[in-house]
Amino acid sequence: MSKLKKIFPYLYVLPAASFITVLFLYSAVFTLYISFTNWKGYGQAEWVGLANYIRFFQDPVLLTSFTNTILWVVATLLIPVGLGLILSVVLQNMWGHAVFKNIFYLPYGISLTITAIIWGFLFSPLGINSLLAELGIHWKVDWLNTPPYNTYSMIMASIWQSTGTNMILFLVGLQSLPKDPFEAAMIDGASRFRTFISVTVPLLKPYTIVVAGMALVNSFKVFDIIWVMTQGGPYRSSETLAVTMYRESFVLANMGQGSAVSMLLTVMVFLFSWLYLRKTIQKGEDA
Amino acid sequence: MTRAIRKTFVQASVVLLALLWVAPVLIVIINAAKSTKEFRQSKFWELPADWAIVDNIEQVLFRTDLGRGFVNSIVYGCLGAGFAIALAALAAFALTNLKIKGAFYWFLLIYSGTLFPFQMYLIPLFKMYSGINLYNSMLGLTLFYIGICIPFCLFVLRNYYMTFPKDYVNAAQLDGCSDFQTFLYLFVPQSLPPFFVLFLLQFTWIWNDLIFGLVLSRDEEVRPVMASLAQMTGMYSGTGMPTLLMGALIASLPTLLLFFGLQRSFMQGLAINVKD
Repeated sequence: MSKLKKIFPYLYVLPAASFITVLFLYSAVFTLYISFTNWKGYGQAEWVGLANYIRFFQDPVLLTSFTNTILWVVATLLIPVGLGLILSVVLQNMWGHAVFKNIFYLPYGISLTITAIIWGFLFSPLGINSLLAELGIHWKVDWLNTPPYNTYSMIMASIWQSTGTNMILFLVGLQSLPKDPFEAAMIDGASRFRTFISVTVPLLKPYTIVVAGMALVNSFKVFDIIWVMTQGGPYRSSETLAVTMYRESFVLANMGQGSAVSMLLTVMVFLFSWLYLRKTIQKGEDA
Repeated sequence: MTRAIRKTFVQASVVLLALLWVAPVLIVIINAAKSTKEFRQSKFWELPADWAIVDNIEQVLFRTDLGRGFVNSIVYGCLGAGFAIALAALAAFALTNLKIKGAFYWFLLIYSGTLFPFQMYLIPLFKMYSGINLYNSMLGLTLFYIGICIPFCLFVLRNYYMTFPKDYVNAAQLDGCSDFQTFLYLFVPQSLPPFFVLFLLQFTWIWNDLIFGLVLSRDEEVRPVMASLAQMTGMYSGTGMPTLLMGALIASLPTLLLFFGLQRSFMQGLAINVKD
């Protein structure tokens, strides 16, 4: 009886643990295995060793996808985080700040799919270009069909969607900061800009680390915006690794290649997270 | 003097940026209200002469797949978030208050579900689901959404339950409560605020999901709302634009309402995210 009773506590954990094990942990191992095969999604999987990985160095499509991913990561790490930080500081004591906060925050309530539909319309010939023509500017780029403008356009959409979230996170951070250093800076006659650089930024660092870390991890996985706006086209010029993975696996039925792309993505996310954490923790210790 | 000028400049930039930020939403609303004919003939910044809002809503809800997707996603969101919170709460309670060997490793095992990029799960889930008739079924998608929401819920609730005073639990057990009664009558009533915030966050996640909806379903009867919308873009991005934009507006309503209706809870939720 008492032996049986010892098992009871585990029964509380078991449902959650089984969900995770069956759906995700098993899946991760399976993807690793498939990445060494030429599986098509049906029939037998044939072992092909590193062939799917070697293709990264040979296939221009995969190389483009890789460089696009890096571009996305850098752009969405710098702009929405930087802009979010600046906005949070400026809006903290500006007139009408409640209205402005809500405006910048609004896109956070809009999904990435819908963001893509909105900006897909704006970058279509009926959108911005028709406004430019009306203003007498006939510099017409077919935004979504011309690389590299298609990637820039989609990054713009992503910035619009994510800046507000970062701003709110920084505002939460700003509210938690001690007042004394700011008063001291004011008494010393520091300009607002100087105060921002020398007081606000260093004090906000723990928040910046988290916000930038979240932006970093998310930026590697960007899929929705691209799939809806260009499907990675034209001619696969605007794919990122997440889109390439989907196309190879579920459009072209190259499950083996798709799995290898997933693996590369995972390795990149882990590597960057590790480097990022190591660097930020080291810096924290130095300070 | 220069200081005042600089301040004005900064504030003017913010106002300008805010206009830029709100413009896309206004443009969508204006154009979602136009008839197809008027959309073709007018410029996107011109207000509609004939408001075709009702027609377009009718079109979206009854003549596209979106109405069904909307209902499906409400089901997925409620069941997925609800069951995930329930299962995570049970596990969190046991891991913090019952005798379990290697409790921290159990936690790591479950939390590791969020470790990998989601792309790692797509192919195996597709294969697994095809093999056991869960592909293209509401049950299959619901089970998936429950699973994907568990790790984060567990993380938050475990942190929350660790702060519960042990005396509290001991007193309950002295009074003759079984473990499960302790959970049900002591822990659950105390957890309603985090349950609420978690429900909002996870419902939003499920509502906004695109990729798993695309991979795990095929028919409109099963498709979640974002996958239906993405499917529509191809067909409607030409002259059917007002319908598509109206669809986008309707599909944004639940999350926007949640957001602005319950902004404070969301701020709390974001604060939880930061502590993650």
